Amino acid sequence: MATVREKGYSHWDGRLSARRFPWWPITRTGIQLAFRKKRFKLVFAGAFVPSFVFLVGLYISERLEDFKAFVRGSDRLLNISPKYFATYFTNDSFLFLIVLVLAFGTGGLIADDLKHSSLQLYFSRPLGKKDYFLGKMSVVAFFVLILTALPGLVLVIFKLIFAGSFKFFLTYPWLPLSILGYSALLTLFFGFYVLLLSSVSKNGRYVIILIFGAYIFSNVLSGILQGIFKIPALALFSIPSNLQQAGAFIFGQKLPHDVPAAWSFAVLAAICGLSAAVLNRKIRSVEVIK
Amino acid sequence: MSIEVKDLSFRYGRIVALDGVTMRLGDGAVGLLGPNGAGKSTLLRILLGFLVPERGEGRVLGYDIRREQAEIRRSVGYMPESDCFIAGMDAVTFTAYFGELSGMPRQEAMKRAHEVLFYVGLGEARYRLLDTYSAGMKQRLKLAQALVHDPKILFLDEPTSNLDPTGRMEVLDLIRDISANKSIQVLISSHILDDIESLCESVVILKHGRLAAEGRMADLRAISYSLFELRIKGDGGAFRKDLEGLGSRVDEMDDGLIKVYMPEAGDRMDIFRAAARTNIQLRSFVKSQTSLEDLFADVVGVD
Repeated sequence: MATVREKGYSHWDGRLSARRFPWWPITRTGIQLAFRKKRFKLVFAGAFVPSFVFLVGLYISERLEDFKAFVRGSDRLLNISPKYFATYFTNDSFLFLIVLVLAFGTGGLIADDLKHSSLQLYFSRPLGKKDYFLGKMSVVAFFVLILTALPGLVLVIFKLIFAGSFKFFLTYPWLPLSILGYSALLTLFFGFYVLLLSSVSKNGRYVIILIFGAYIFSNVLSGILQGIFKIPALALFSIPSNLQQAGAFIFGQKLPHDVPAAWSFAVLAAICGLSAAVLNRKIRSVEVIK
Repeated sequence: MSIEVKDLSFRYGRIVALDGVTMRLGDGAVGLLGPNGAGKSTLLRILLGFLVPERGEGRVLGYDIRREQAEIRRSVGYMPESDCFIAGMDAVTFTAYFGELSGMPRQEAMKRAHEVLFYVGLGEARYRLLDTYSAGMKQRLKLAQALVHDPKILFLDEPTSNLDPTGRMEVLDLIRDISANKSIQVLISSHILDDIESLCESVVILKHGRLAAEGRMADLRAISYSLFELRIKGDGGAFRKDLEGLGSRVDEMDDGLIKVYMPEAGDRMDIFRAAARTNIQLRSFVKSQTSLEDLFADVVGVD
């Protein structure tokens, strides 16, 4: 009889226990797997460029005299207020960089499990749908928060350091809360958005295209419709416009579109709700073919 | 009893997958047999809590299959039929990952992953990416992840599918060792009757979602029927009809061998009398040991 055993089987002495956060290994592994992709590392590093640019802006704003030659007429832009932070968080390129990072880092979160039939392995463990979903959602949350809340709060701290006083903080004490609130909104929205698209295909590359495609297409469609019908409410078709509306509202700025902010919140909530319903159907241990 | 189900029923839409299955399984290796669509995989999935039965109840190691699924999954190792892995991972990370998800501390899971990978013969390949594994290696990897948390019961769904003969022997050898020497109960669902016959002490046969036979292999062989193997000279058709009229089942093999499955109450002399009536010369007459294949053919009605 052939034998393949290089070592005998021995029983494990330990005791299996119910974890407080059973989804945590899923999150940790998801983050580790993202960083194993060379292409992703490059994209991730590049996503911090806006933070660096705005940090430099903060420094220059406190040393305007020294940088007169460079700044010339644009010192108005360097008036540091909540608007400066709203501009940082809601500008098109920043939002697109988040989408870029999420597409390459987390696009395969569910798609790969579907492709390699590993959902049944997860659910043969003491895990529920909720744990699986939270584990995957937390991977997205990690990347969104590291690109939003972390640099946002760091910018506030550096503003205080460069200014050498707490005046800015005392003038806008709610600003850190706005940063955290908007970061939480982006986390929640992108979490549902990415997981939804990741669950609709088994092909990771196709999912990446979908993540970009839906984001860009919604914006293009909204632009075309607004151009034809001249109705501001058509901005609600655009994902970035809705995020910018919500951002402007949270940072207490003038809304970029002539539509109530509540409508944008409602659109974002509807996308999250739809995603939750689809995910509830897609994530299951057994693929039932009727 | 480690597994006990009563009146278990489940349907996929209109298709009845399980229909009032009641059984009690004891220790050791148990084979789950049945043709395609008999409900074997559905039964395993219900026992694991993947599917909620429409009717009936069940317990695995004393835990209720409807209410205590987490406890069941903590005590059961599951090796699915299809290939499943996580791209971009090596075997040791993969195995430790599922150990951790079962509730093992991280360090312990990693240590244990090394041990089970050596046990299943993947020790040298444990740092290789799973994407590069052959079908046989993936099969062993599935066994490793099922064993990592030291389960009390293993559910193996077609454990030797996609394996070459050598690989099949190696995996069977492992399963035999686990069930015979390691006090881990094994429930094996397989189409390959030889595998079940070589590994299992008991067998459960499902047909169209119903329980067709259940019990210890030796008992099932003894009580169902007697098998006689004959070689004849003359018109086999009339002889066959005569025997079938007496309640026996007759199968003719390609090499001319005739297998007669005689009911328990039958008399072997009936065969000789039938031969005499139909002018058949019996060239050879052997009372044969029934194989699982014979039992399966008799119960399910297919070869």
